Amino acid sequence: MKILIADDSRVMRQIVIRTLRQAGYDDHDIVEAEDGRDAYDKVQAEQPDLVLSDWNMPNMSGLECLQALRSSGSGVPFGFVTSEGSAEMREKAADAGALFLIAKPFTEETFRDALDGVIV
Amino acid sequence: MTETRIPRRRAGDRPPVITELLDEAVVQEIADQAWAALVGEEEVLVPLPGEVPADAVSSWVEVLGPWTGTVVLACGRRTAADLTRALLREHAPAELEDEDVADALGELANVVGGNVKAVLPGPSALGLPEAGTAPAPGAAADTCRVDLLWRGQPLTITVQGAALAPEHEN
Repeated sequence: MKILIADDSRVMRQIVIRTLRQAGYDDHDIVEAEDGRDAYDKVQAEQPDLVLSDWNMPNMSGLECLQALRSSGSGVPFGFVTSEGSAEMREKAADAGALFLIAKPFTEETFRDALDGVIV
Repeated sequence: MTETRIPRRRAGDRPPVITELLDEAVVQEIADQAWAALVGEEEVLVPLPGEVPADAVSSWVEVLGPWTGTVVLACGRRTAADLTRALLREHAPAELEDEDVADALGELANVVGGNVKAVLPGPSALGLPEAGTAPAPGAAADTCRVDLLWRGQPLTITVQGAALAPEHEN
């Protein structure tokens, strides 16, 4: 599978990649995006099988990216990895079409719980 | 940016101060979880005061809502560099750039701040992490500070109300 990881923090992108590996999801192609706009463009260009996106990012938020993707007809599986895990944010994410929301700080077990069945 | 709508406070409403909303134990628990998950499972934060060096660096995120203020992480330069290496692990470059340190410290503030926001009354919005010279603190009564030691090095996490600005009454 090709997985696109969108986060404006390079450090956090590395941590997400490392946690994916620790959770047993290695051997996948990883594409990185540094904000929502970059993620939107790379979904069009790279056709990933899954997007893991931060919420708060400059230029375009993760939520705006997801909404833009759905408006453009893209149904790419999309999940948030964000420091905001409140019920309110989870509801907004689900309403916009996100499959899941992983709250930071996360562990490899959190990743497995959210991604089991999504990453094959 | 989030799309959260922030209700305007009515004239005469007294905004809550942070000490009415959370205490040091809550902040420490949030920080403990962030450290265990991001810095390393064996990494502990010891609740003991230490003197943060004069060359301290800070990162913070703003919370804007019924309670408005910032969540600030401050530590010495050496501690900041060690934290950055711990977060990046094998991807840490031989020579850390200032940008790497600001990024790592900013993400720690972001994760702590996001979880602080989750226990505060909403709706509220979280800003993007910043690093540099921290915003001036507000009133002492609107400040919740924890002093910690990580690997024997001091760091502080402060949840502080926005500095008081002159009010324009109608």
